[in-house]
Amino acid sequence: MKKYTIALLTFFASAALITSCENDLPTRANFSSYEFSGLDEHGGTWKPVLLSAPTQIVIAAPADVTSSGYQAELASLKSATANLSGSQVEAVEYWTNNPIIRWNEIALELAAKYNLIPGPNADGTYTLPNSANPAGPPPFPFAHPPYTCRMLAYLSVAQFDGLISAWHYKYAFNRPATYATDSSIPFAYAKNNLPSYPSEGAVVAVVSRDILTAMFPLEKDFLAAKAEEHLSSLTWSGSNVASDIEAGKIIGTEVKKIALARAAGDGMKNAQTPKAKSDSIKAAAFARFGWSWDNQENPQRPVGLTPLFGKVKMWNVPTVEEVRPGIPPAPGSPAFEKDAQELRDFAKNLTVEQRRIANWWSDGLSTYTPPGHWNRLAKDFMIKYEMNPLRSARTFAYMNMAIMDAGISCWDTKYYYHYPRPIQTMPGFKTILGTPNFPAYSSGHSTFSAAAAEVLSYIFPNEATFCRDWAREAADSRIYGGIHYRFDADNGIDQGKKVAQYTVNKAKVDNAD
Amino acid sequence: MKKYLLLSLFTLSLLVSNSLLAQSPSDEILMKKYELCVAVTYDLGEWNQYWEGTYLRGNENIGVLTRNMVMPMVAAGITDKLNVLIATPYVKTKSTGGQLAGVEGFQDISIALKYEILKKEIGKGKLALLGTAAFATPMSNYLSDYMPYSLGLGTNEITLRAIVHYQLDKGMYARVAGAHLWRGQTEVERDYYYNNGSYYSTFMDVPNAWNYQATIGTWLFNYALRLEANYTALKSTSGDDIRAYNAPQPTNKMEMTSVGFFAQYYFKKKIKGLGVLGYYNQVIDGRNIGKSTNLGIGATYQFKVKNSQ
Repeated sequence: MKKYTIALLTFFASAALITSCENDLPTRANFSSYEFSGLDEHGGTWKPVLLSAPTQIVIAAPADVTSSGYQAELASLKSATANLSGSQVEAVEYWTNNPIIRWNEIALELAAKYNLIPGPNADGTYTLPNSANPAGPPPFPFAHPPYTCRMLAYLSVAQFDGLISAWHYKYAFNRPATYATDSSIPFAYAKNNLPSYPSEGAVVAVVSRDILTAMFPLEKDFLAAKAEEHLSSLTWSGSNVASDIEAGKIIGTEVKKIALARAAGDGMKNAQTPKAKSDSIKAAAFARFGWSWDNQENPQRPVGLTPLFGKVKMWNVPTVEEVRPGIPPAPGSPAFEKDAQELRDFAKNLTVEQRRIANWWSDGLSTYTPPGHWNRLAKDFMIKYEMNPLRSARTFAYMNMAIMDAGISCWDTKYYYHYPRPIQTMPGFKTILGTPNFPAYSSGHSTFSAAAAEVLSYIFPNEATFCRDWAREAADSRIYGGIHYRFDADNGIDQGKKVAQYTVNKAKVDNAD
Repeated sequence: MKKYLLLSLFTLSLLVSNSLLAQSPSDEILMKKYELCVAVTYDLGEWNQYWEGTYLRGNENIGVLTRNMVMPMVAAGITDKLNVLIATPYVKTKSTGGQLAGVEGFQDISIALKYEILKKEIGKGKLALLGTAAFATPMSNYLSDYMPYSLGLGTNEITLRAIVHYQLDKGMYARVAGAHLWRGQTEVERDYYYNNGSYYSTFMDVPNAWNYQATIGTWLFNYALRLEANYTALKSTSGDDIRAYNAPQPTNKMEMTSVGFFAQYYFKKKIKGLGVLGYYNQVIDGRNIGKSTNLGIGATYQFKVKNSQ
């Protein structure tokens, strides 16, 4: 009997070992505050995107550091930084000295949270989210890729313009860092002598809270609490006195108004059309080319996703027509058949690696979408290259403008050509990824990814090969998944590159290089 | 009764559309030392409704989801009181609606040890107390994050089960079993997912679970036929709900209760050692799981490898 007991114990010990080898599952980017690779002292001379000049927003000159007012603020900061509670220390560590990264992460999480497609009602109709009644059901918004890319673009551009203005005033007024004036202030991050007035953290907290609240109205309270904690962390970390923070809030509030005014008039509110309009777009394509796309779901969705997103105002491309790719091969043509056959072959003999790639870049419902995926990759580079908040904001701003322009261009192409998906042209064809509710040509993943990769290659030249390879992989992932033809992917890559070039050209002359 | 040794069925595992449960023997039957049993069962599971959280719904883009399973199994008596059981199901899934491709392949391999802790006469019957310990691990690199089509949960699993069986000398019996399932993590093919918040990982936590079963049954025709009715419950101890009109994922809090009937017949004289079985199970309530109906048939063959002294 004894030997069985031993066998039994051994069995359990090994089983327990195998099962207990569990990884900690991270819920956010794993980084702590770091020393910036540079301060960009001339950041105030960079060209903003929406502001005519950094001085379009005016803040008062700060009180002198020798003034009794400032000395009182400093004393109050000193007492606030003494004896921090555990949760205060945690907040300081969480927000770090580059809160751009955290706010981007929050934005991505909200994108994933709201990226749910409304299901059918009992009678087979569909109800779409409505910004006038955000609680729904269904809740507003449906944070699909066009919605998410636009959300990220406004967030990043507003943060960028706000920080250019903040940098202008920091170096115009030159109020020394708190710890430079009083060395007994316990500063939580790496000292760099960045002038403290206005607080760049406060600009970012306010602008991020307000843009995201406009984009995700049901998250108002959540975002207010996040911003509150972030603003408090500026005190707890010893970064800023009260007047620094107040001045930052003014910039944040002004710049968000300008950004949201652009958003209100950019055409997004017309992007999701009524059925009659959608039908006329489809009829026009059929008259032009002799084919059209139909949603294949059951019950059929009467309108595709945002048919007029292609009419939304672009950031850096003068006209959407100039970046529209040429006509795809007609269904049934030899060129079409060749790419259709490739899909059948992949469906039959997909390798484990191809399946992994299809899923890796899938970024479908309940995720942060492909634009979110590229933001996540960009974030990793910012940490790796130890970018300061201003340069991080610049990276996100140019990348997300290019991604949104790519999305607009791609959607213009999709509804101009109205090209049917593989499951429509090849009856009975089965896929391992869900087919989205919009036409095939050109591929959104390819266009978004190529645009993102071009901007990242410009900003991180050492990473250019990785970025372009990833974009190619993201494009291929849709072919492996059975939901795009190769000509969708290849033309999407070219289109994304072409669109991004306008943004890169603009970035090259903004004084940051 | 012991001379008609047979194989227990892993009904429990077959109940659940996602083969949530490792193949854990949950009955009282043991083989003697040097006895071996080989078995194969075929299970057809189908559902056209599932619980999204606690909301029971249909989905025309799935239609009817079918899960076919063939499970070969081997059981052996190490001693009269200790058995080892090994099984590995081959699973094939498909649906009548939508365009997503079904999958097929070997799911998990499970190794279970079953030990009779106690057996004694009480009144006009016998009371038996047994314990089983099982370990299951994926047989292939199937993708668990492809629900509801995926072959299984793609994780290691340890099950500890206690079984109490009381049988009257006339053949009627009642049995209760309770088990805890420790489940590890499953590796998926993406490094971001939403589980009531962001997760930046290629691993998902698969919730642990409790499993209970109550059975009443009887032996008939001089222990040639066995009939039983059972009630089964599974409760995950944590996890999230399927999001609105979204696919399930391995992190979901799965729960279900089901009822079933089971019959097994032994050809005692004609073909010594051969048995056949059949069963029917219906999930009656659940959470984040298909409302599955399962029909199974199987054959068992039992023989001695060597005579024990």
